[in-house]
Amino acid sequence: MKKEKPVFLTIYTVLFFLYVFAPLIIIFIFAFNAGEGYNLPLKGLTFNWFEEFFSDSIALNSIKNSLIIAMISATISTLLGTGLTIGIIKGIARFRAFFITVLMLPVLMPSLTIGIAALVFFRTINIPLGIPIVILSHVSISISYVFLIMMGRVEGYCMDVQEAAVDLGAGWFASLRDVVLPAIFPAILAGWLFSFMISWNEFIVTYFLIGTEVTLPIYIFSQLRFGISPKVNVIALLITMFTIVIIITTGLIRKIYIRINARLTL
Amino acid sequence: MSAIIKNNKKLLYPALLWFIVFFLLPLAIIFIYSFTTDYLFQGSRVSFTFSNFLEIFQKRHYLIVLTRSLKISTLTTVFSILFSYPVSYFLAKKTRHDRILIVLLMIPFWINYLVRIFAWKLLLSENGVINQVLLWSRIINEPFKILYTQTAVIMGLVYTYTPMMILPLYATIKKIDDSLIEASRDLGASRVRAFFDITFKLSLTGIFSGTLLVFIPALGSFAIPAILGGTDSMMIGNLVENQFFHTGNWNFGSAFTLTLAVLSIALILFYSRLFGVEAIYKSREY
Repeated sequence: MKKEKPVFLTIYTVLFFLYVFAPLIIIFIFAFNAGEGYNLPLKGLTFNWFEEFFSDSIALNSIKNSLIIAMISATISTLLGTGLTIGIIKGIARFRAFFITVLMLPVLMPSLTIGIAALVFFRTINIPLGIPIVILSHVSISISYVFLIMMGRVEGYCMDVQEAAVDLGAGWFASLRDVVLPAIFPAILAGWLFSFMISWNEFIVTYFLIGTEVTLPIYIFSQLRFGISPKVNVIALLITMFTIVIIITTGLIRKIYIRINARLTL
Repeated sequence: MSAIIKNNKKLLYPALLWFIVFFLLPLAIIFIYSFTTDYLFQGSRVSFTFSNFLEIFQKRHYLIVLTRSLKISTLTTVFSILFSYPVSYFLAKKTRHDRILIVLLMIPFWINYLVRIFAWKLLLSENGVINQVLLWSRIINEPFKILYTQTAVIMGLVYTYTPMMILPLYATIKKIDDSLIEASRDLGASRVRAFFDITFKLSLTGIFSGTLLVFIPALGSFAIPAILGGTDSMMIGNLVENQFFHTGNWNFGSAFTLTLAVLSIALILFYSRLFGVEAIYKSREY
């Protein structure tokens, strides 16, 4: 087929990318704007909003809480999720479709349902709201995402290698530890990063379960409800930088993984 | 071999147990709440009732919130299909830099959506950036008022969830074999006809996956109507939050939450009947 230059399509795509990025670029600009409000033209460069943000103890505390929650829940859900993925993909043949459908619920169901259900559940059995139950609920969401990420890669990993290890005298656990886990390690790392990001960004479930504590999304939400201080621009800028670092890391991991995989098949 | 499989299988139990206790059990509990009259395990007598559900469909206010939520999320889905189809098509068929462009498109998606909604609040408010530019350039004389309306909510939702539409669309269009289109053109089909009979039909799976990934979160959204919406944009999420944090009627709140859950599960099941469950997973690969 001859390639024609799709002029309108190209223009449309450029406009679409503008639509996607313009709002973000605008908040970055205002993070450095000296004026009080959001008035054009800009008043000059300042780092005051950064200073104000870094002296706001509630904001800093919210970042600390978010990091703690995201790291703990990512670790637990990666441990559980790795076991789950190996168990389902390399362990069972029957009911697999059923398992997968049920596991899809946390991914597809509205977070609102999950948050309300957890709230009612923990209040009914008299467990106080706070960070621990936020972690518990984040884990039950992230397990599904870890499964989602790892499923394809575990499926692609040939089971014969594990069998060969066992035939050569390794115990089952040794075959898992020394053969299977190293081979799928990049997928495990990707799963950890993914669930870290899910938990780090999660707002709705956290909102219902956090009680009086504050996480970063909760902090931003409260800032948005009462006026909009340019401090929020600073947070947005920092979050974006942080996000880009994570995305690049994930990309690198994927590259390394492909290289290792290529070596395994040789 | 079978011993290995047996041992491998054991690895799934810890996660399964966690999932049952902290995910399925809570859902079961709101199920019970929505069919009963009082709080569980608090000493009061709990009896079976349908009244929580009847209330939703009898009280005008609740019915309005329900239909409004359906309307807003339907419009959100339609707009995100219209907006993202050309882009997905371009990425899938008309460029060699599609991988890097997809990664670029996903960056905003990974930034907390509250931050993105904040950006829209800045843009849309009465003395916001768009109004200032339009007033300054004398395109308009009066600032337009979009913030705190349903339009603003829909704009925020479309902006937030469009990436979820692009990914599956891109993936399905990418898989379409160009020679099919070529063949239809050779057989005399016009370009428009070839597009609708082949490309569009074959990308329906992607449209449906995207619909699932946009419609359901939009239907259950809570922060976006709370921030961008006004008095006329209360959605299911806001009403449910009200029931649990302010009004305090857990049974009714649970019934409303369950209605939302049933709507979304029905959609999921309908989809998996059509395309198989694994299709959603596959469409989400990025």
